[in-house]
Amino acid sequence: MSGHGRTISDKIIDAHTVDGSEDALHREVYVDALLGHDATIALLVDEFERRGLEIWDRDRVIFTNDHFSPPATIERADISNKFLRFAREKNVTHLMLDRGICHQLLVESPLCAPGSLIVGADSHTVMGGGVGACATGMGSTDILYTLATGRTWMRRPETVRVRFHGALTPHCNGRDVILELLRLLGEAGAQYRSLEFHDLADPPLEQDDRFAISNMAVELGAKFGVFVPDRVTAAYCAERDGQPPSSLVVPDEDAHYERTVDVDLSALAPLIAKPWSPGNVVPVTEIERKPVSVAFLGSCSSGRITDIRDAAEEVKGRTIHPEVRFVVIPASVEVFKEALRAGYVATLTDAGASFNHSSCGPCGGIDKGVLGADDVCVSTSNRNFRGRMGHWESRTYLASARTVARAALAGHIGPELYDEGSPGS
Amino acid sequence: MTSTVPPAIPPITGRVWLFGDNLNTDVIHPPQFFSLDEAKVKRGLFHGLDPDIQPGLLPGDILVGGRNFGCGSSRETSIRSLKLNGIGAIVAVDFARIFFRNCTNNGIPCLTPTDPGDLDLLRRHQVVEIDAGEGRMTSDTGDTIALDPPGQFVQRVWRAGGLLPLLPGPRAGREV
Ligand code: SF4
Repeated sequence: MSGHGRTISDKIIDAHTVDGSEDALHREVYVDALLGHDATIALLVDEFERRGLEIWDRDRVIFTNDHFSPPATIERADISNKFLRFAREKNVTHLMLDRGICHQLLVESPLCAPGSLIVGADSHTVMGGGVGACATGMGSTDILYTLATGRTWMRRPETVRVRFHGALTPHCNGRDVILELLRLLGEAGAQYRSLEFHDLADPPLEQDDRFAISNMAVELGAKFGVFVPDRVTAAYCAERDGQPPSSLVVPDEDAHYERTVDVDLSALAPLIAKPWSPGNVVPVTEIERKPVSVAFLGSCSSGRITDIRDAAEEVKGRTIHPEVRFVVIPASVEVFKEALRAGYVATLTDAGASFNHSSCGPCGGIDKGVLGADDVCVSTSNRNFRGRMGHWESRTYLASARTVARAALAGHIGPELYDEGSPGS
Repeated sequence: MTSTVPPAIPPITGRVWLFGDNLNTDVIHPPQFFSLDEAKVKRGLFHGLDPDIQPGLLPGDILVGGRNFGCGSSRETSIRSLKLNGIGAIVAVDFARIFFRNCTNNGIPCLTPTDPGDLDLLRRHQVVEIDAGEGRMTSDTGDTIALDPPGQFVQRVWRAGGLLPLLPGPRAGREV
């Protein structure tokens, strides 16, 4: 069952090794793409210029201003401008101004190909694993090094195999799946590991669900959260790139896994993570009733078309609770345009939701929608760490877009969100 | 990459500050202190958790934590803040991956005890000395705690004072 063959991350790292023997702990590897955003790239600009460095390959760099987009304060405008000036001076090919959240823009780009090795100046870069790429986040110093050389150092991680079985229950999506994994394995359950997702479900998970799962692999401490690429991957890439992917890197039949975790999707119920850890997960039907003042549908973890679709389905013809502020942020401008075409924006706006520009928004306590001391927020973002979305005393619960929409209608979270006869049931 | 013999890693002496498990980077350095202004970055350290910690830090002080130290965001302002406040080293049961890399790249040693239970011997504000290369921590009350010896690669980065001194020159960078 668990033999001597290679996993996806073994194969991808081997294929990208520049230097270092087979069994060296640290290998020098080259990368296929580098992702960066305004906040973390601005931190390295001075050092990069002081050293007189140049970008190793400007066609392989994707930069976007998503954290301060458009900037809300003078300080942020200055940081944003510093980043933009640098990107323009260096002629970065894929500088995307106000186009959405970097991780969503990465998976919308042909650079995020199955089998590629990608680094990004942000922890959720791991989301590229949704299409079978080994993508991982790093800090600004590591990214500076890679930006100048196209290389980095990497340890070959152990791999944990996760197999999904059955058919996903109708009220759940990828967010519930990854919350289930957090419930099972905990906040450090995949530390330093590569999570390798085998989708044996029937029907298979939608591509958006896979992105939600890969995105939060880092919440388990994982270095990669990579799906075994299959026909869902191939179809997504074919539509995106106008041609099918040239190859799909899959694990050997006898690949070596540290352990295997099986998840029966047909037994899954909607889940919610309580403050202040994404690992603090309980079924929605077991959560104590609590009024919410903010509902947030957005972030790189959600905010995709299927999330907005689910929320629109819930609120259609209804009205958001008068004491709830419901903020919706599509993950990219492309997603927003699709939501406009599908009529979801009108449906949600009619129900009382507010749409903000595609950006990080209140996730990370950055922009419009941040929380005050008394706020209780139900959110589709990926972290409910204390103080992350605003005031130290504020509280954030993590859930799926459907659960967030139901809570926005009801004005609270609680077991009855999924009772018979509740909104949308 | 450098041909000169790397200097030994000097001992680190400082007072102990104790933290628990899963101390994430948003708690270490709240997002509202993200800035290019050093004074603001410095001030933000542990601001939500306890605003009295940062003004009380002395250069060389040592953070001691539990499991999964530094999980969460990759924002390197957290590490800049540790550096600006003179944190000498961090000892924890284990570290989140990105945080470990970021600290190592910036010359802040992250060390793990060979026996995690040994960390219970430590008391707040007690003075300890760490020999990072040897993998040993000695307290002012005479306790010795064995630390896992860091790998060769990590030692090389420490000795260089961080990752950037290992960067090939601009010419080499362009030739890659
Ligand atoms: S949406 Fe949130 S988690 Fe995603 S990149 Fe922005 S701040 Fe980070």
